[in-house]
Amino acid sequence: MKQFLKTIFLVDLLQGLWVTFRNQKPSLIYTEQYPKERPSVAERYRGAPRLNVHPDTDETLCIACNLCALACPEELIVVGAERNEETRRKELTTFTYDTSRCMFCGLCEDACPVDALELTQDFELASYTREGAVWDRQMLEEGPLPTEYKH
Amino acid sequence: MEEILNSPYVFPAIATALIIAVFPLVAGYIVLAERKVLADFQVRLGPMRVGPYGFLQPLADAVKLLLKEDIIPAAADTWIFWGAPVLSTFTALTAFAVMPFSDRFYVADVNIGILFILAMSSIGILGLILGGWSSNSKYSLLGALRSAAQMVSYEVPLGFAIVTALMVAQTLSMQGIVQAQYDKGIWIAFSNYGLMLIPTALFIIAGVAETNRAPFDLPEAESEIVAGFHTEYSGFRFALYFLAEYASIFVLCGVAVTVFFGGWLRPFANVGFLEVPLNVIFPILLFLLIGGGCGVGTMRVSQAYEKGIMAVLTLAMLLVAALFAIPAVNVLIIGFFWFLFKVLILIYMFIWFRGTFPRFRYDQLMQLGWRYLIPISMGGLVVNGVVLLLTS
Amino acid sequence: MATQTTFLDTNELVLNMGPQHPSTHGVLRVILKLDGERVLGTECVIGYLHRGVEKIAENRTYQQFAPYVDRMDYVAAVSNGLGYCMAAEVLGGIEVPERAQCVRVILTELNRIASHLLWLGTHALDIGAMTPVFYCFREREEVLKIFEKYCGARLTTHSFRIGGLQYETYDNFEKDCHTFCDWLDKKVDEYEELLTTNRIWVGRTKGVGILDAEACKAYGVTGPVLRAAGVAWDLRKAQPYCGYEKYDFDIPTCQNGDTYDRYIVRMAEFRQSTRIIRQAVDSLPSGPIKGKVSKVFKPPIGEAYVSIEAPKGELGYYIVSDGSVQPYRVRVRPPSFVNLQALDEMCRGALIADVVAIIGTIDIVLGEVDR
Ligand code: SF4
Ligand code: SF4
Repeated sequence: MKQFLKTIFLVDLLQGLWVTFRNQKPSLIYTEQYPKERPSVAERYRGAPRLNVHPDTDETLCIACNLCALACPEELIVVGAERNEETRRKELTTFTYDTSRCMFCGLCEDACPVDALELTQDFELASYTREGAVWDRQMLEEGPLPTEYKH
Repeated sequence: MEEILNSPYVFPAIATALIIAVFPLVAGYIVLAERKVLADFQVRLGPMRVGPYGFLQPLADAVKLLLKEDIIPAAADTWIFWGAPVLSTFTALTAFAVMPFSDRFYVADVNIGILFILAMSSIGILGLILGGWSSNSKYSLLGALRSAAQMVSYEVPLGFAIVTALMVAQTLSMQGIVQAQYDKGIWIAFSNYGLMLIPTALFIIAGVAETNRAPFDLPEAESEIVAGFHTEYSGFRFALYFLAEYASIFVLCGVAVTVFFGGWLRPFANVGFLEVPLNVIFPILLFLLIGGGCGVGTMRVSQAYEKGIMAVLTLAMLLVAALFAIPAVNVLIIGFFWFLFKVLILIYMFIWFRGTFPRFRYDQLMQLGWRYLIPISMGGLVVNGVVLLLTS
Repeated sequence: MATQTTFLDTNELVLNMGPQHPSTHGVLRVILKLDGERVLGTECVIGYLHRGVEKIAENRTYQQFAPYVDRMDYVAAVSNGLGYCMAAEVLGGIEVPERAQCVRVILTELNRIASHLLWLGTHALDIGAMTPVFYCFREREEVLKIFEKYCGARLTTHSFRIGGLQYETYDNFEKDCHTFCDWLDKKVDEYEELLTTNRIWVGRTKGVGILDAEACKAYGVTGPVLRAAGVAWDLRKAQPYCGYEKYDFDIPTCQNGDTYDRYIVRMAEFRQSTRIIRQAVDSLPSGPIKGKVSKVFKPPIGEAYVSIEAPKGELGYYIVSDGSVQPYRVRVRPPSFVNLQALDEMCRGALIADVVAIIGTIDIVLGEVDR
């Protein structure tokens, strides 16, 4: 009987209507107005790569050991190095990183013995050309220019 | 001059021109409202980018649709393909002719008003069928078949529900129906000891189906048959279908309001002491509230042009509120206000249904129509008729 | 049905559904043979998303291949990672520390929830209820946030490494999990309120796409589809891995094996998953997170097959090692692919609208079907 009344008075449908109705509360709105509002990105986020430099001397931390390039499954890192005749040490000359092929798996970052290569919180990697997605050493050290939006 | 003004065609002509000119814009804003309300149900924001809070979105949509390439599939039946959306739009807009917007504002008050609307909406189906057929696409064809079956079967309970109401009102003229409700002192939906609620509910359900709205939106079920009968349409022709759809929603809600919910009458139209609170204070408060909302919006938006638009809106709302305070103007516009208010509430309910319910399946739709709605609507007719006879 | 032969009989209509279709979940293409709205038969055309993942494995070291498996079932990337890592660990004979196992369980269960949420949203959308998808994505966002905080990626997480974990849990990890579980339980109630008793929903799903236990076994269908047919087969119970035997949870089953039952089973699995997560978080042991694995992982010659209960069914990894740093062959048993084979059986005699519901209820991810 109860079931019958429930069927006649469309209780199940009204119940559903009530769910959607109470979700109208403006405080429940979940939309993030990107790019007006920036998402908060977790500390460990694996985004744009960065080649760290020493904070005081501005010298690169990279020791050109090539481990990152070996670790990368996509083989998109190319480390160029030259032996310095005075110190008998390998020194970094060029470093290219093809962000268009990168899957941000973090293996290169894990492989780096001196924490020179790091994936940062920056996530806006779009560029107008394919070449623009290939980052050179300078770009990696300075980081991409922060994107300006008009809205 | 005098002669022209006195001719019986002047006012209808003006009203017609006004409706044709304004309705596309109104439809655009109904679409915006639908998107906003749906977004609200779905914890989203809806359009926010064009204009303040997406206020100019309808304009952007219109421009986009008008500028789009008008693609006609190679295998399509060109002439029918061209004509079908026009037919739909034409019939949907024609139905406005007998819509009683208020006691003063209507194009014509013919003594078969409601029949005229039903006839027009039936012809409108033809537009969908032809459109689906002429596109020469399987999805379109399926959509057209579905819409044909659906509309034909749901017109029956719709008709029965209206007939029931007409028995109570005892007239077919739209103005007459409203007048009858005024004389009775009760909306038809609640008359007959509440028995009229059955046809009212049926009318709304069948109306949702008749206008192809969710949960009965099978002809354009996007997850099944892509876009149904208008799969192959683009640009302006697509816009016409859209316009027709929203026009028929508006017409249907208008009919529901007129026939069941007292048309342009205010609630409790015969209770004298409610005159001032409902006819003056309520609209003023409503528009002040909207104006206030716009005012807060003005503070919140950042860009200068957005601020400008919002400020103009605020002022407009305040102005409308002020209009209601002037007794002479109030008399003119209050009927219109109530009519629109009720129609918008119904449209809100349509959107609400869309936001909540899953879609019926084709066979279930037919079952619901033939097994439940039609018998119930016939039963409602008989019961109400008997009660009417006994009480009169 | 088209068995009648009268002069009214018309030809069948062949309808091409997909690969661009709003509800074929990506790039599935189904060719339907229709009699009016009724489906006489279906044929799946797959491969639009084929990337040769198994072949890629042969040119990568074991560690290097791990991120690729995330890209098969990208909705449940963590489960994929778990399956692959476990297979490699069995091959190399590596012990995974307790703590790592526990975190693995938490993350895979979170991922199961995320996957089911996506399923629920899209399934409801296919059936025409457009609101649940937004609610589901809101909840899923919270899971993805936990992933992001834990390992730095949201979808293709690459959160596990062979031998254990790369990342230690972050501060507040436990609290986040608890808050999420409490929240989700409430939200699942809300979904149930919206759908479970709704007559349209019931009408659209009950008796649709029935696949009974026998047919399930014949097709090798696993996961919620199998459990909805009444077979209480869940690898987490049947052959516990990762310490699942320590947790107290049930296998939800139903009897009829129709779309509605599959819905009920998955809804119940939300609750079981939160139950497991709560237990695991509370019993999270301390200790190392990575077993002894040398930098150059070189398993001995041999082969290993490990299967786990992924959100969509049994996910198996079969790895053959030739003793080098790269696998000789990796073969994946993807649940989506196997379950999809039952589509034709389920669709016969149904209506077009049911086909959409059935594709949704099998819960396929084309990345995994095509690999
Ligand atoms: S993140 Fe992965 S794919 Fe990208 S460069 Fe590093 S190792 Fe290669
Ligand atoms: S692993 Fe680190 S130190 Fe070695 S080459 Fe790469 S970035 Fe430089």
